[in-house]
Amino acid sequence: MILDLQRFQAQAGPRWSKLEMLLAALEGRPDRRLNPVEAEQLQDLYAQTSSDLNRVTHGALAPDLRQYLERLVARAYAELYYAPPMRSEIWQPRSWLRIFTAFPEAFRRQSRYFALATLITVLGCALGGLAVRYDTAAVEVLLPANYLRNPGQRVNEETKGQNRHPGTAQVEAAFSAELITHNIQVALLAAALGVTFGIGTALLLFENGVLLGAVAARYTQQGFGLFVTAWLLPHGAFEIPSILIAGQAGFYLARLLLRRREDRDMRRAMREWLLLIAGLALMLVWAGMMEAFFSQHHAPVLPYGFKVAVGAAELVLLTVYLLLIGRRERAAEAQVSVAAERK
Amino acid sequence: MTDSEPTRLPTTAELTIATPEGVVFRLPLAGPAARLYAVLLDTAIVLAAVNGLGSLVYFIFAKAPGFGIMVITLAEFAIGFAYAALLEGFWNGQTIGKRLFHLRVIDQAGFPLRVEQAWVRNLMRVFDALPFAYLAGGISVLSSPLMQRFGDRVAGTLVVRETPLAAPAEESWTRQKYNSFMDYPAIAMRLRRAATPELGSLIQDALRRRNELTPYARREIYRELTTYLQNEIAPFPDELVEMLSDEQYLFNAAGVLFGDQRLSRL
Repeated sequence: MILDLQRFQAQAGPRWSKLEMLLAALEGRPDRRLNPVEAEQLQDLYAQTSSDLNRVTHGALAPDLRQYLERLVARAYAELYYAPPMRSEIWQPRSWLRIFTAFPEAFRRQSRYFALATLITVLGCALGGLAVRYDTAAVEVLLPANYLRNPGQRVNEETKGQNRHPGTAQVEAAFSAELITHNIQVALLAAALGVTFGIGTALLLFENGVLLGAVAARYTQQGFGLFVTAWLLPHGAFEIPSILIAGQAGFYLARLLLRRREDRDMRRAMREWLLLIAGLALMLVWAGMMEAFFSQHHAPVLPYGFKVAVGAAELVLLTVYLLLIGRRERAAEAQVSVAAERK
Repeated sequence: MTDSEPTRLPTTAELTIATPEGVVFRLPLAGPAARLYAVLLDTAIVLAAVNGLGSLVYFIFAKAPGFGIMVITLAEFAIGFAYAALLEGFWNGQTIGKRLFHLRVIDQAGFPLRVEQAWVRNLMRVFDALPFAYLAGGISVLSSPLMQRFGDRVAGTLVVRETPLAAPAEESWTRQKYNSFMDYPAIAMRLRRAATPELGSLIQDALRRRNELTPYARREIYRELTTYLQNEIAPFPDELVEMLSDEQYLFNAAGVLFGDQRLSRL
């Protein structure tokens, strides 16, 4: 123990409180910008306090003082070395609107994960479809709900409007909100399950695919192919791709976590992941409204052909949007990024 | 020199950061209990807000309850996710619950949290909350050296404890008029050299909590400490020690350790 703590504290105390005051002022500022005078002052005080901390750490037995100085240095360090984002930008509507172009751009950049998600879902569909087609026992297991197992009855009820209530628009509104929140939650889970190195995401997509394939096969088998297409396509055109995009986000996250730590550009990666989620959430809002307000109406109110046409048109629009909107990466840029990823 | 860099295991988890200037500082990490309390409080706040909003919406949409339910369902969902993400993003890593429990989310390099980190760690909650009551997140916190839940691992963030600290005040034992240990400068010097920071803070804590301990506990703790100091660190002459109570012994020892450091009397 070298230091004379009392004298040391008496001498250095004023600059500590000066630093504390400066930090309090800076931390209270929403944009955390420094003017040149403050920056110089902060730099000076930070350097002095750091050296005080070093002296206390190595030359005195003063755990409390050390802790106090550590906290002070930590706060100053954060202010000094942190490059604040342009927070003011966040409040500009234009930067929010950019999401509509940034989302398809992100989608295209990570399209191979979308392909993987699609592949797994298609495999699930095939399995579900084939199981229902060739194995009657599978129907009981794969389609637990009665309305899925016996399409004829369901179609009858739906077309007769037995499931409809007076004040339908009201019920539909409540139903749409239910659908939107539920679907976003499931999609978010698929994207978050990326932390299981993609295994959870894959299982969820596969299960989803099996159910889809089984329902489609069951209805088609019993001759309600047009009905089920008209029933599912108007909202499915957005809902199914958005679940696939959730899978894409999940696999993207998994790939990121499998990379070596030093090769990750977390900041960019997080923005990419968030863009995919924001985009699919918007898609699910649309899908939820369509499902509640449009899909549940059947012939003769809405002819099946019309419903299928609307669904197909949605699908075309979505494809155009995802593939063409936003800036297209120039070939040179794309090659550079591919080369970087291969390294 | 008594303090070289950590040869001991920290009593609580901490983040150690070495700055480019070669300064090393530590930040204490928040444990699962404090974080759980903060989450519970935040949940209560969100529920209260949603309920308040709900009755307002119910009033506005009295003629169209279906649309009312739609508004409430969507609002509840949005508030549930956005509450923590927005507050942490714009309020320097704190929600109301975290502020009251003196917690703060920071970047794992010691910097303030960025907005996208706040969103990622809060959206990842859907996974951390699995299968129920934050089990996945809790296991992750307990198994991670930086006490990160999965959302923190992905976002590169961690939660630190920020109990307000003031520069430590002078303690009574640093102002002793007469300290009989100072009559034996060689032994006092030995005590000063041999005492580790942990032993020093142990003695300091024992004396500071004098009034919080029950008489029996105090007697036992003081006796153990005294015996240890006397036998293992620096044996003062028996004739001196016999005249002192254990408490006075520790008081003197603290005076030697933390008192006037100028060795003028030694």
